[in-house]
Amino acid sequence: MKMRTPLAWFNLTHKRQRLLTALAGVAFAVVLMFIFKGFENALYDSQVQLLKALNGDIIIVNRIKTSMFIPEKFARRRLYQAEAFEGVDAAYPLYTTTADWKNPDTKKIRPLRVLAFNLSDPVLPLPEILAKRSALQMPRTAMVDSKSRSEVGSLAIGTVTEVAKQEVRLVGTFPLGTDFTSGNGNVVMSDQNFVRYFSNLGPDDDERNLNTVDIGLLKLAPGANASALIQTLTQRLPIDILIYSKEDFINKELAYWKENTNIGFVFSLLTVMSFFVGVIIVYQILYTDVAEHWAEYATLKAMGYSNFFLLTVVIQQAVFMGLLGFLPGFLISFGLYRVTADATGLLMQMTTLRALNTLVATVIMCLISGAIAVRKVQSTDPAEVFGT
Amino acid sequence: MSHLSNDLPSDSPHFSSEEIAVSVRHLDYYYGQGDLRKQVLYDINLELSKGQIVIMTGPSGSGKTTLLTLIGALRFLQEGSLNVLGQELVGLSKSELVEVRRNIGFIFQAHNLFDSLTASQNVEMAVEVLQDWGNKRQRAVEMLAQVGLAERVDYKPKALSGGQKQRVAIARALVNQPSLILADEPTAALDKQSGRDVVTLMQTLAKEQGCTILMVTHDNRILDVADRIVNLVDGHLESDQNFTAFSQTHDPKALV
Repeated sequence: MKMRTPLAWFNLTHKRQRLLTALAGVAFAVVLMFIFKGFENALYDSQVQLLKALNGDIIIVNRIKTSMFIPEKFARRRLYQAEAFEGVDAAYPLYTTTADWKNPDTKKIRPLRVLAFNLSDPVLPLPEILAKRSALQMPRTAMVDSKSRSEVGSLAIGTVTEVAKQEVRLVGTFPLGTDFTSGNGNVVMSDQNFVRYFSNLGPDDDERNLNTVDIGLLKLAPGANASALIQTLTQRLPIDILIYSKEDFINKELAYWKENTNIGFVFSLLTVMSFFVGVIIVYQILYTDVAEHWAEYATLKAMGYSNFFLLTVVIQQAVFMGLLGFLPGFLISFGLYRVTADATGLLMQMTTLRALNTLVATVIMCLISGAIAVRKVQSTDPAEVFGT
Repeated sequence: MSHLSNDLPSDSPHFSSEEIAVSVRHLDYYYGQGDLRKQVLYDINLELSKGQIVIMTGPSGSGKTTLLTLIGALRFLQEGSLNVLGQELVGLSKSELVEVRRNIGFIFQAHNLFDSLTASQNVEMAVEVLQDWGNKRQRAVEMLAQVGLAERVDYKPKALSGGQKQRVAIARALVNQPSLILADEPTAALDKQSGRDVVTLMQTLAKEQGCTILMVTHDNRILDVADRIVNLVDGHLESDQNFTAFSQTHDPKALV
């Protein structure tokens, strides 16, 4: 009984109907913020999901391959040279190219990204791929990304279709996901099959062999100092390659997409607009409530309550609205993320940090609304309650 | 009738300064600024003794409510002197005025109760302003019992009648045992019987607690509770009488 009467809470919850409207308003703004932020994050996250799945501590690429989008290769002997350095346990080459894939159902051609490597190297150690290593060793076999766009067609084991206009047999699927460079999805095959498909193309095509590598992966010995090793390798190896830690390489790739596309601007703008839509919704609700209770608030002032106390009442009401409205907004967004991810193959990730960020944004949103609405209370003149 | 300044009618008892709750001297008050400045109160002189019930009457727009809000420390004073409960209000800052208000009970024409709070919680809000947390519920319940609402402490205003709501508002005004109660048309929204009950209650409680009541009203049915009736016309204090004198001078038969 030593508590202050929780006036803000009672005012907020007194009218069930209005409370539900208020929470729906907050939840609406929360969902908008989550969805737009989710799309932005998905577009960025998708760009690096392959890189994150690659099994290497250090990544080597051609000096002019400034993003995964640029199909520049480097000489495989650089990998052998790097492997000779102290602290490097193993070096794996990864070959990538874009190839036409025939949809087995509609027979339409769609571009896919081919990822090829020596099956004895754990380049992409997804359990689905590891389980099918012996099947992948058979000539003209491949696995397809189960998160590929639906245009790729049915992916049942044993499906026979064409890649680069040559027959291929599907031996399984693995989950990875699309990005801007992957076209409609990803295909994994052995380096031997890669040579089979892409070494004897027509004169107009870019023929491939195993002497040039798209991405080189270095595994370090336990206890090796990665940054020192990167420095040594950069100094000692020819300058036609760039050497990154995996983390730096991922960040560089993200930076490329952030600096060279309008994704960030467009979605940040949409998120900020949702934020202000929320401010307006919450302000409307709070203002209506304050305006309806102005005589009561003025009476409190006449009784000797300060403006500051009334401010805390309105602000508390705003914060309660934010917290209560966030919960349904979060749950709806969580569901929408899954629906969106299933429909588009985009990587819609709800991380704790992102949920917390949106929670903080929601509370700030409500605080701004509260701060505007509270001016109505503060301007309330208790002398005016007399004679009305 | 001549202007009455400080000299009280002979039938008014005289009090020493320790027994004065409110003392108004040469008070002028204006609304607006510059060319639009309009004087609403002219040289008001009035003393309210402790324990007195004073009713202020007068036509609409005569400045009654303005004077009431000035005494209630709800407005800044411009000219004159106004001493409320031993505190000079002229020159006080906003926060000092808020402090003065805590010793005054206000009763309005509308009950101004929070719909979302029970009768008890509405009264407790008044106890809390004095930072008294320990037995606020107990004090609120006791006060509500005194106004005859012991059975209704946990009812919300929606479940109470008009008279009951006004009694909750009175409980809220009286729970801190203020030395001064300012009431503005407290019976205007009530039927005859409820209005009568409410003022009788105010009278009883005021006598018990020894507080001064200044009530603005147009309601002739309740004038008899007053020890004194002051009449304000166009910003001037026109008359200051006890009830008997007032009823004689205002009796239509006597005026004929």
